[in-house]
Amino acid sequence: MNEQRKHILDMLAEGKITAQEAEQLIAALERDQPPAASSLDARPKGKAKYLRVVVDALENGEPGRINVRVPLQLLRAGVQLAALIPAQALGKANAELNKSGVPIDLTQLKPEQLEALVEHLDELTVEVDQPDAKVRVFCE
Amino acid sequence: MPQLLTVRVKRPDGRPIRIWVPVLPVVLVFSPVVVLAVLVAAVACLAYRVSVMRALGTGWRIVSALPGTRVDLEQGRTAVLLTIR
Repeated sequence: MNEQRKHILDMLAEGKITAQEAEQLIAALERDQPPAASSLDARPKGKAKYLRVVVDALENGEPGRINVRVPLQLLRAGVQLAALIPAQALGKANAELNKSGVPIDLTQLKPEQLEALVEHLDELTVEVDQPDAKVRVFCE
Repeated sequence: MPQLLTVRVKRPDGRPIRIWVPVLPVVLVFSPVVVLAVLVAAVACLAYRVSVMRALGTGWRIVSALPGTRVDLEQGRTAVLLTIR
């Protein structure tokens, strides 16, 4: 409860104003407040629908462009597919990753964690700027 | 489910090729192959002790989520655009 609203309720409790006046004051207070939508926390979840990957690069003196748009729904479905990978395949993948110097245990990666990762992708923006290439990954 | 697959290829001479593929009629034409592929996938699921129904459900979810996908590649005067609607 903010300070002004508390002050109005205090005045009502002390009998300085009537209930109708308190209601009018609170209504006026709410009108003066900035819209809640301006806050990032109030942004509706799942607003972003697509993951975009845009690469602008110069290769052999020729400009090249890669522009990929993937529905986030497809990523969610892909996460479910990842959950179907048999344990023995994950074991082999772990061994190969270790051999390549990437000690990641894929068996510890739970579908719920991946789901949470996809859910929060709309807050992700990656930008890589190099003299001959520019990469942008974002959600829209 | 995807309805239309569009492929546009721009050749170095600037002449574009556009191909529209209506998904449902093509799937119907190739339905025997599709059924065979599903059977092979089911056998593979059983061999690796993966739930067949879960795998089929996930496969269907992936196919259903495809509309809206767009891949656009350009290199010099050549370009390829693939869209799924």
